[in-house]
This record gives sequence, C-alpha cells and structure tokens, in this order.
Amino acid sequence: MSSFKRDKKEEEDGGGNPFQNIEKTTVLQEARLFNENIINAKKCTHILTKILYLLNQGEQLGATEATEVFFAMTKLFQSKDVILRRMVYLGIKELSSIADDVIIVTSSLTKDMTGKEDLYRAAAIRALCSITDATMLQAIERYMKQAIVDKNPAVSSAALVSSLHMTKMASDVIKRWVNEAQEAVNSENIMVQFHALGVLYHIRKSDRLAVTKLVARLTRMSLKSPYAVCMLVRIAAKLLEEEETGNDSPLFEFIESCLRHKSEMVIYEAAHAIVNLRRTTSRELAPAISVLQLFCGSPKPTLRFAAVRTLNQVAINHPTAVTACNLDLENLITDSNRSIATLAITTLLKTGAESSVDRLMKQIATFVSEISDEFKVVVVQAIRALALKFPRKHSVLMNFLSAMLRDEGGLEYKASIADTIITIIEDNAEAKETGLAHLCEFIEDCEHTSLAVRILHLLGKEGPRTKQPSRYIRFIYNRVILENPTVRAAAVSAMAQFGALCPDLLENIQVLLARCQMDSDDEVRDRAAYYSNILKQQDKTLYNNYILDPLQISIPSLERCLREYILTNTEEPFDIKSVPLAALPTEEEKQINNQKSDGMLITTGPVKPIPVSREENYSEKLSTIPALQQLGPLFKSSDIVELTESETEYVVCCIKHCYTRHLVLQFDCVNTLNDQLLENVRVQLDPSEGYKIVNEIPCPKLPYNEMGTAYVVLQFPEDLPNTVGTFGAVLKFVVKDCDPNTGLPDTDEGYDDEYMLEDLEVVLGDQIQRVNKVNWGAAWEEAGNNFVEMEDTYSLSSMGTLEEAVKNIIQFLGLQPAERTDKVPEGKTTHTLLLAGLFRGGFEILVRSKLALADGITMQLTVRSTDTDVAELITSAVG
Amino acid sequence: MGLFQKLAFFLGIRRKEVNVLVIGLNNSGKSTIINHFKDEEEKVAEIVPTVGFNVEKFQNQNLSFTAFDMSGHGRYRDLWEHYYKDCHGIIFVIDSSDRLRLVVVKDELDLLLQHPDICNRKIPILFFGNKMDCKDALSSVKIAAGLGLDKIMDKPWHISASNALTGDGLQEGVEWLTQQIRETIVTRN
Ligand SMILES: Nc1nc2c(ncn2[C@@H]2O[C@H](COP(=O)(O)OP(=O)(O)OP(=O)(O)O)[C@@H](O)[C@H]2O)c(=O)[nH]1
Ligand SMILES: [Mg+2]
Repeated sequence: MSSFKRDKKEEEDGGGNPFQNIEKTTVLQEARLFNENIINAKKCTHILTKILYLLNQGEQLGATEATEVFFAMTKLFQSKDVILRRMVYLGIKELSSIADDVIIVTSSLTKDMTGKEDLYRAAAIRALCSITDATMLQAIERYMKQAIVDKNPAVSSAALVSSLHMTKMASDVIKRWVNEAQEAVNSENIMVQFHALGVLYHIRKSDRLAVTKLVARLTRMSLKSPYAVCMLVRIAAKLLEEEETGNDSPLFEFIESCLRHKSEMVIYEAAHAIVNLRRTTSRELAPAISVLQLFCGSPKPTLRFAAVRTLNQVAINHPTAVTACNLDLENLITDSNRSIATLAITTLLKTGAESSVDRLMKQIATFVSEISDEFKVVVVQAIRALALKFPRKHSVLMNFLSAMLRDEGGLEYKASIADTIITIIEDNAEAKETGLAHLCEFIEDCEHTSLAVRILHLLGKEGPRTKQPSRYIRFIYNRVILENPTVRAAAVSAMAQFGALCPDLLENIQVLLARCQMDSDDEVRDRAAYYSNILKQQDKTLYNNYILDPLQISIPSLERCLREYILTNTEEPFDIKSVPLAALPTEEEKQINNQKSDGMLITTGPVKPIPVSREENYSEKLSTIPALQQLGPLFKSSDIVELTESETEYVVCCIKHCYTRHLVLQFDCVNTLNDQLLENVRVQLDPSEGYKIVNEIPCPKLPYNEMGTAYVVLQFPEDLPNTVGTFGAVLKFVVKDCDPNTGLPDTDEGYDDEYMLEDLEVVLGDQIQRVNKVNWGAAWEEAGNNFVEMEDTYSLSSMGTLEEAVKNIIQFLGLQPAERTDKVPEGKTTHTLLLAGLFRGGFEILVRSKLALADGITMQLTVRSTDTDVAELITSAVG
Repeated sequence: MGLFQKLAFFLGIRRKEVNVLVIGLNNSGKSTIINHFKDEEEKVAEIVPTVGFNVEKFQNQNLSFTAFDMSGHGRYRDLWEHYYKDCHGIIFVIDSSDRLRLVVVKDELDLLLQHPDICNRKIPILFFGNKMDCKDALSSVKIAAGLGLDKIMDKPWHISASNALTGDGLQEGVEWLTQQIRETIVTRN
C-alpha cells in the first residue's frame, strides 16, 4: 500500500522513476527473501531488478555483501519461473566479478544451456562464460563446442560471442574451437555468420598468413550476412595497409566489388575503407567517392550522415576528390539534421576557397549553439585547418573562436578551442597578440584546471616576447589570488619566465614571488622560493638551464635510476647525466597515436599508457648482460637497420647502441630454414679505421623461426672524424641439419658456414640525442659567449626544394628542430632552420642552418658546441 | 512468518514442499541417486561430476522434494554451508567401497555436525552407504561404526545400504526421511 502512494507522489514531482529512492542496505535486506523455502517469483524478480538497477547506477558492493547476495540468488534456481531465471542470469553476470566462489553455479548453468528450455539456453551460456576462469574452461569446453554449432541461432551466437570474450583469458583453449567456428561461418543466420567470422579472425589474427588465407577463402564464397561482409571488408583493408604491395591485389578487388553489393551497409563500408586507405590513386578513389556522393542525396538521414562524415574525415587527405562533391555538400548545409549540416559545412571549409570562408562561417554561426559538443569540436577542427591554410583570415576565425570560448561547453570542447588558438598563435606571428588576449580573458573564468595550466604555460612562453609583456602579468597574478593550488603553481612558473626574459619587469616579479612564498600550498611556495632564488643570481646561464628550458630527461628512467641509486648505497652524489633523455615522439608515432580503433568486434584496449623511450626499453634488456654493465648509461639507440633482404634464409637486423665511449651492435637474427639448427652464431665485423673490437657475445643456439641475438662491443676511435664509417659484416655459424618436424639435430656433428650481410653504416646521428629547446634563441645567444663556434657554406645541389633540404638535414644530423623551424612557410625562397642536440659524453650542440633557394640550395651552417671536436665533426660531416 | 503463511501452514499447504541438501564426497553417487528419483522423462542419460551444485525436484509420498545436489569435490566442500540454513533434511552419501577416504568422510561429517546452522537443530540426516554392489563394499554397520554415528544424540539419523544404479535401498531410505520431515514440521510449531 505504502509503495503505491509513493509512486503516485513521484509522478506528481515529475520524477516517475520507481527506483529513485531505493537504498542499497534496504535492498540487500530484501534479498534475504531469496532464501525462503517457497520462492515468490514475482517478488524476487522485483528485488533482483532493484539490485541490477543499483549496480548499473554505479553503486559499489563489497566482496562479502556481493557474495551473500550471490549465494542467496543461487537458491532461485529452484524456481521454474522463466522471467525470474533470466533475471538470475543477469544477476550472475553483474556479480561475477565482485562475489567470491561464483563457479558454484557452473553445473546449474551447464544444465540450462544444454536443457530443453530454449529461452534459457543462450542467456545461460553468456552467464556461464562470465563466471568461468581459465582453469574451469576445460570442464565446459565440450558444451561450448556443441553450442557453437547448435541449430538455434541465438544459442550459437551466444556461444560465439562468449568465446570472443574469453579469448582474453584463455586464447589457446578457444583456438581449439576453430573447426566449430568454421562450421558456424556457413550458417544461414546472418548474426551467427558475423559472430563466427569474428571468432575465426581473432583466433588467427596474430598469424598474417592464416588471415590472408581466411580472407581469400571467404571472399570467394560470398557471405550471406551483410555484417560479416562488412567485417571482411575491414579485415581486408587492414591487410592491404600492412602489405606493402600495391592496390592491384585481389584484396582491393574484393573491396571494390563490394561497392556494388546489394546492401547499403556493405556499400558504405567498402567506400569508407577505400577512401581511408593510405595509398590510393585518384582512379581507385573515384568509384568510392561517387558512392558517397550518391548517399549524400539519400532520403535516409543515416546514409547522408555516414557519407558526409566520411567525406569530412578524408577532406584533408583527398581535397580534390572531395571537392567533386561540393554541390551535394552545399545542398546539405541547410539539412534539418544539424549534425549533417555541421559536417557538410566543415567539409566545405576544409576544401573550399578563401572567398567562401566568410559565407560559411556566417552559416555556422546561425546554429552553432544548437549542436552538441561533439560536433562543435568538428567545427573547431575545421577552423584550425582553415587558419593554417588561410593565415590572412585569422581575425575572422579568432573572433569566432573567442565567441565559442565564452559559450557553455565541456572540457574536450574548450580544450580543442584553446588548442586551435594556440596552433594559430604558433603558426602566425600576426595573430599572436589577439590570440593571447583571448586566452587571458578565458582563464579569468575557466573551470577546467588542466586547461588553465596549459594556457598559463603558454603565456609564460609567449608573453615575454610580445611588445608589451607587462600587460599579461596582471592576468597571471590574478590566478594566484583566485585559483586552486595546481593553477597557482602554474601561474608562479609563468611569472618566473617573465622575470628571466624581461629585465625591467624583474623587480616587480620578485615582489609577486615573495608574496607567493606565503601561499598555503607547499608546491606553490616551493616553486616561488626556487624561482625567486635563481632570479636573484642575475645569471643568464642559470636562467636558461633552470627556468627557461625544462628538464629533458625521461621521467620513467629517472625513477628507475633513482631506485638503483638508492640500492647501490654509494657515497657519490647522484649524476643526473646518467639518466637517458626523454624520447621525442617522431611524426610517425604521433600519427599512430591518432589512429582510431579498427572496429573488429573487440578493441585491443587503450594502447601503451606511459610513453617509454626506445633507450629505456633496450636499457633494461642490455643491463642484464654482464659484459655490457661496465659501459655506463646507454646514451642512444638507433632505429632498426636491416642487413638482409626480407624472405632470405637468414634474416638479420642491427640496432646500434651508443654509450659514452663504446658502440654496442645488437644483431637480431632469425633462421627461416626448418631443417637447420644454427649454433654459435656471431657477426664477424670489418670495422672502419680506429674502431677497436673489445668484446663479442655470440648467440649459442638459433633454432628455426626463433629470434636470437648476438652482440659486438666496439670502442669508439679517439679521433672524432673516424667515428663515422662503414663496416663490412659476415654472419658466421655452425649448421646442424635437423628433422623439420621435431627440430632435433640428426647428428651431433655440425659444419661451419657463413652468410654475407649488407654493409653497416655508422653515422653522425647515432651519436647524437635530440633535445627539445623551448627557448632556442636564448640558448644560442648564451652559447655565443662560452661555446666554440664553427661556420661553413655548402651547396646542396641534389635538393630541389627547401622542404626537402630541411627534412634531410634534420635526419642526417639527428638533431631536434626548435621553434617550429622544421616547417617552411609557403612561397619563401629562404629559410632558417634551428636545431639542438646532445653529443655522447654530454656535449651540447646548437646548429643554425640558413638556407637559400637558387639553382639548388645553398646553406650556411653555424655550429655552436661545448666541444671543438664535436663542432668540427658536424661541419665536416655535412661536406 | 506472515499471517497468511501461518494459516497456510496449519492447513497443510506448506507441508508439501520440502528442501533437502545432498552432500558427500565426490564420486560417491549423489547425482546418480537423485537422478533415480526423478520422473522418467526428466532423467538424464549420462551423469558427469557436478561443478558447484544442481537443483533437482522429485516427488515422494505426496511430498515434493527440492534437492540441492552439491558437488563433493574438495574445492567446493566449503561452499555446502551456504545451503545449510534453510533445509529440512540432509542426505549424506558415502561410497562404501572407498575405504581409504572414510576418514575424510568423517572429517566432513564432524564439520557438518558442528556447524552453527546445524548443531542446534533437530534436523534428520539420512546416510546412504552407496555402491553396496561393489565387492569390497563396507556394510552399513561398519560404516556407522567408522563414522561414530551412534554419538549423534540430538538428531534423528538412519543409514541404508544402497545401489544407485539399480535403485536398491533408495526407496527405503527416502521413506524414512519423508516420515521424519513430516514429524519435525508438525512438531516445530
Ligand atoms: N557400482 C556403482 N557405481 C555407482 C553407484 N552409484 C554411482 N555410481 C557411479 O559412480 C560415479 C559417480 O557418480 P556421481 O553421481 O556423479 O557422483 P557424485 O557424488 O554426484 O559426484 P560429484 O558430483 O563429483 O560430487 C558414476 O560413474 C556412477 O555411475 C553404485 O551404487 N554402484
Ligand atoms: Mg554430482
């Protein structure tokens, strides 16, 4: 009775959610009803619903609470009520990860999954798999195999999907179900076929050849299920990307043929795959684009949406192809579906001419407040692309952005606006002052700590170099008064930058920093004291090293080195030089991070949480080899160099590890002959003049298809110019013929053999670590006083453009470009490239390369370094 | 207990539904015994070791039984206790040909009898000395002595030799249990 009244009252409140006021403790109390001898199915179902509701609202149950409910729930198996039983399955799934001893229901669920009641079977399978761990899987394996090939599609699908989930914990058991999955792929049911393909793919995905075979077979048999075909398109596209072959392969043919499939879903999938392939010619692209173009005019909003979204995504990579759809896109600007309209406009912005910018921006402004954050982000991205393309439009765009910044919106949206403003500022000096002003205004009222911190950092970096630095101080100091400790600390650091770079502001900054030393937060006080003391010294070198340029070392390495230091218990002070520098992500790595998940039913999850440098990875492995332990800290590891053609008998790759005085060559070898066992595998080197081989560590055994590693340790020549050179290399080993099936050698006797490798080049870049100088100018000026300087002029006849020259110089020297000078502004005939790095042994290098385009390229190269020999080496190496 | 339930109780409606717990070491024949009592069409052809438990229903002399057929495997024995509280009777199955593990049986039985949810209740326990057809099977007298059954004073108990494959001895045992449960239910109030 009472509950009825409450419901009614809630309805008046406009709530209407019958579960609004339920409470965990009460519900757990009610769950004791499950223990009654006679089950009241209706009541129990209701209680279970409440429990599920609570769990889905994020309510946490402790292990004891969960176990108690779980065991009470197991007693409901005595009821024959179908609805209640299905609720029990859901309850089992929800509690399986929290409660203890959940395997208690294994037999009961197995009975239901193999029983006569069809309504139970699929759900019981899903519940069973949620409680099964790797040790128990064997016990239910037989039933799972049967279920996969069951006549009932729901049962088969449930078993397949559950198998997919279980590959995470017991992939080798699931692999044994490949025959059943194979059979299920032939199913008439579209879902079963789709899920079966998912399982087959996941079983094989680590084996390229097997995937290729699978795709080849399935593309020929023409799958019935459009879902399965979509997935096959995705797998094929992925293979195509990995294969280095051109697009004349049967895989591409297959994807192309799907453009003529009868299902729209498949047609779209194929078009999407083709336009997203990295290497496509315009001829290959054309049919896919026409499909998307057709979809733009479809009466179905989903198709219009999919098409315009895809065009939007590829507009930057294939501008001309997308321009072909301009007319269709224009029609979509006024689409009643705002998402479609937004995407259409932003696509046009990306591809359109400068003259159309104003018109399109006005059109967006009419409805920007009505669209969701996600689409606002799309708009912002389009604006960013525009600003980079049409620098002269910056004031229109900047105004638009600042208006957006003032609107309501979540962190991601605001961050993307701030990002865009920052990009525009960095790219376009004219936009700097207005951009900074907008950002200053924004942090006055910014609720996102992370964003405020980033903007303060930027103000500290850019503000001191504007015409009137003092105007930013007020905005920054306001943060110290009004914000939380994290933002306050960032504001203190930003102020210190002004102190270091603007002598006439120094006195004021010191006053402000003195006030900050009274702050209630430790970090804020520490920073203020730190900066205040350094600024007191009035020493440019100190400013550069401890205020303007942040620490360059890799933080995970620092942690490891400090831990080792504490363990060794020495008297010596800790040497920060022993810590490897932080890896700067290469362009390629940045691109990989931007790639999205491939939609293959199971995502591989978030990739690599902490970026660890290559050196850090190798360091760990190398430090386990006793002979390498005396070499000191690893300074730099090169990229992998292949010393054999691929698909030869033996595959050898080399990684060059540079230490302060030594070079360690790591040869990773694979033996691809299944009738040979190699022993005592080593690389015989013919090093260039001055190099001394100090140690060789052979690989004792190299069985078929396993990777083995041999090392050679060399001492660098005393004369620096000799460190750059070419080494001859031969792989030497003892061969023992063996039985391909067992891998066991036929006899104990082996014979010596050798295999020629390609020459190994040791280059300048192997000995240089890239360093990111935030304030290159200051460092250069400073270096003018106490570094050695060398200068020379060269003519780079083989290079035709400034871009090409810049790219080659960066790569050759292995230095890090600073102040975005790696980007050559369009239409210029001269360019100055600024570089920084560290030579092994800790010698700093700064390089300024002035380039001029006239009949080839002439370059004036100025090197400043702490070491004469290093400076000389660089100037001579270029020549 | 609500008023309605009390009423139902006196009218004898409730009396017809009883819960029993079937325990004993693994491989003793619990599932086979329960299978024997089930209706012809519900019987399973092949019995596999139980993982966790199974709920089975069967009728005997107007009483409907809900049997919790527990797994006797070591890993699951600790979990029996979750089901002690609400049962009206216990069927404890012993493989009478497994002399070696009779001590283990005794340990488990002692744990059961000492358990707080069992020790103060006058709950009937039916022992089956199962697999009596095996040639080195112990007699029920010997099993009773080995387990010290005569020391159980506060609970009615009974031991039957049985063969779950043919059904010999099963009916007799369950009739005893039915009788006992009827009595306890009537006298409990
Ligand atoms: N010879 C003989 N074999 C029996 C008898 N009762 C059961 N068995 C056999 O003993 C084996 C085990 O029987 P189950 O009923 O699975 O034993 P359980 O006690 O349920 O075992 P768990 O579920 O693992 O605890 C089966 O192979 C039965 O056929 C019997 O009276 N005589
Ligand atoms: Mg059993």
